[in-house]
Amino acid sequence: MKGPAAGPALLSDTPLSFLGDLDIATGRVVGQGSDLIGQSVAGTVLVLRATRGSAGAWRFLYQLKRAGTHPAAIVLEGMPDPSVVQGAILSFIPVIANIPADLRATIAPGTPLSVDGASGMVRAE
Amino acid sequence: MRLSERDRAMLDGAFGEPARRAMDGLVQLGEAFDASDMVDIGYAHIHAGMAMYGGDVDLITALAAEGATMRTVVSTNIANADMARWQQTGAPPRLAALQQRAEAAHKALGGATCFTCTPYFAGHRPTAGMHAASIESGVTIFANSVLGALANRDGFFAVYAGMTGRYPRFGLHLPENRVPTHHVAISAAVSGTTDFTALGYAIGAEVTDGIPFVTGLGAVPDEDELDAMGVGMATSGGVAMFVLPGVTPGFAGDAAPPASVPQVAIGDGAIEAVYDKFCTAAVDGFDLVHLGCPHASLAEMRVYAGLLAGRRIADGVDCWVTTNRTVRSAAEAEGLLAPIEAAGARVVSDTCPMSCHFARTCSPDPSLGVTPPTLAGVLVDSVKQAHYVRDMIQCPTLVTTSARAVESAVTGRFVPRPFR
Repeated sequence: MKGPAAGPALLSDTPLSFLGDLDIATGRVVGQGSDLIGQSVAGTVLVLRATRGSAGAWRFLYQLKRAGTHPAAIVLEGMPDPSVVQGAILSFIPVIANIPADLRATIAPGTPLSVDGASGMVRAE
Repeated sequence: MRLSERDRAMLDGAFGEPARRAMDGLVQLGEAFDASDMVDIGYAHIHAGMAMYGGDVDLITALAAEGATMRTVVSTNIANADMARWQQTGAPPRLAALQQRAEAAHKALGGATCFTCTPYFAGHRPTAGMHAASIESGVTIFANSVLGALANRDGFFAVYAGMTGRYPRFGLHLPENRVPTHHVAISAAVSGTTDFTALGYAIGAEVTDGIPFVTGLGAVPDEDELDAMGVGMATSGGVAMFVLPGVTPGFAGDAAPPASVPQVAIGDGAIEAVYDKFCTAAVDGFDLVHLGCPHASLAEMRVYAGLLAGRRIADGVDCWVTTNRTVRSAAEAEGLLAPIEAAGARVVSDTCPMSCHFARTCSPDPSLGVTPPTLAGVLVDSVKQAHYVRDMIQCPTLVTTSARAVESAVTGRFVPRPFR
């Protein structure tokens, strides 16, 4: 998904499912299996290892966008499934996939990040 | 990405703004997955527009209002209310009215309004080698594994595939990605659709988003069992395709298992564990018995009618049989609805327990007056439904075979599937 975005880094080691792991109204992570439990993804640059597959993921990204609780951008080590990408395009949320595995270790939580979906650029401000 | 002249014209707005936006989205999707070009889509199973999610129906009504049209054969996925008989399920009137607006929009768009998770039982059967798009993971796995069509686990963009007749060539649209990743050897004795949903669920948990090559089943499962096994896999894992030699087009009955892939063994214990996982309610702690997940085929309607004929559902228990509109009308013509209704059960179309106003994980517009009822427990004959009742209705579940589910509904006490 193209487009520039910026926000504080929110880093996770556990795969995130957009269906079930998030409360739409607040953007808070409620999934028991996530290391982000209790934190809000709203306005953040969400840096994940992977997303957990659900064909319904697109709808929940769109719901987050409608509620204004969506992440500013999603940055992934792997490739998301087609539903996540479709939800991101529909909701104008930039996604950057296949980042080097050693990049996450260099980002401190809360670091202001700028990303550009078209070029795949991720930069600390 | 290489685009055809028609793709370019669409992208330039020659087919109108909705088609331009659809093609633009598909191009972005293709670029994300490094697709070389687009394929022609022969069939798309698309989003219903879900009244239980704020703004979701608007996605469909807005397209219709803009004059969008479908450019390939299209069917519609399951919805959040039975649009013809919503009062029977206790749906709030404003929720039903909003769902009916989505139905009207689909008629304007030119999609077949079957509102089902089993369009292949409503006559929508993509053929071997045909490229398709589907928003319903159960349709994706049935198309790939049983019909030999080519489809990914899509989201909203199945609508864009329908509007353009095109889809980027990536994922399971490429032959090199349609090869087994695991060999699943089954020693469990399975019989009937409930067992097959449990078997699929056990397999999906093991292979996650791989493509299992399945051996050891003995007799060739019937179509309802193949359907059940597929939806089980698509529920617990992200499985989009399985290979069953002799069933999956391109794999003869004597096809050898793939060499040098991980081996998975599924025995009776794995099936029992799945049943145990979803038997969490008290034996007399259910107020709804649900039959028909995914939406029943005509063959399954015959089974349900036979099981319910001459019986009477216990007081205080509700019993739903869910199927799609097409099968419903065929069942009615065959005289199958009368014995089901005479027993005190309801035949529900367009929706199901976890897809209707019972769900607590949705975000309905407050003005619709949706208040999910408090359910003590739901008894089902499908592990797929059990999984989503647990997660979306958030109440205890019981799962047993179809015959025992009917027995439970009649006696008011749970009749479990026996093991050993």
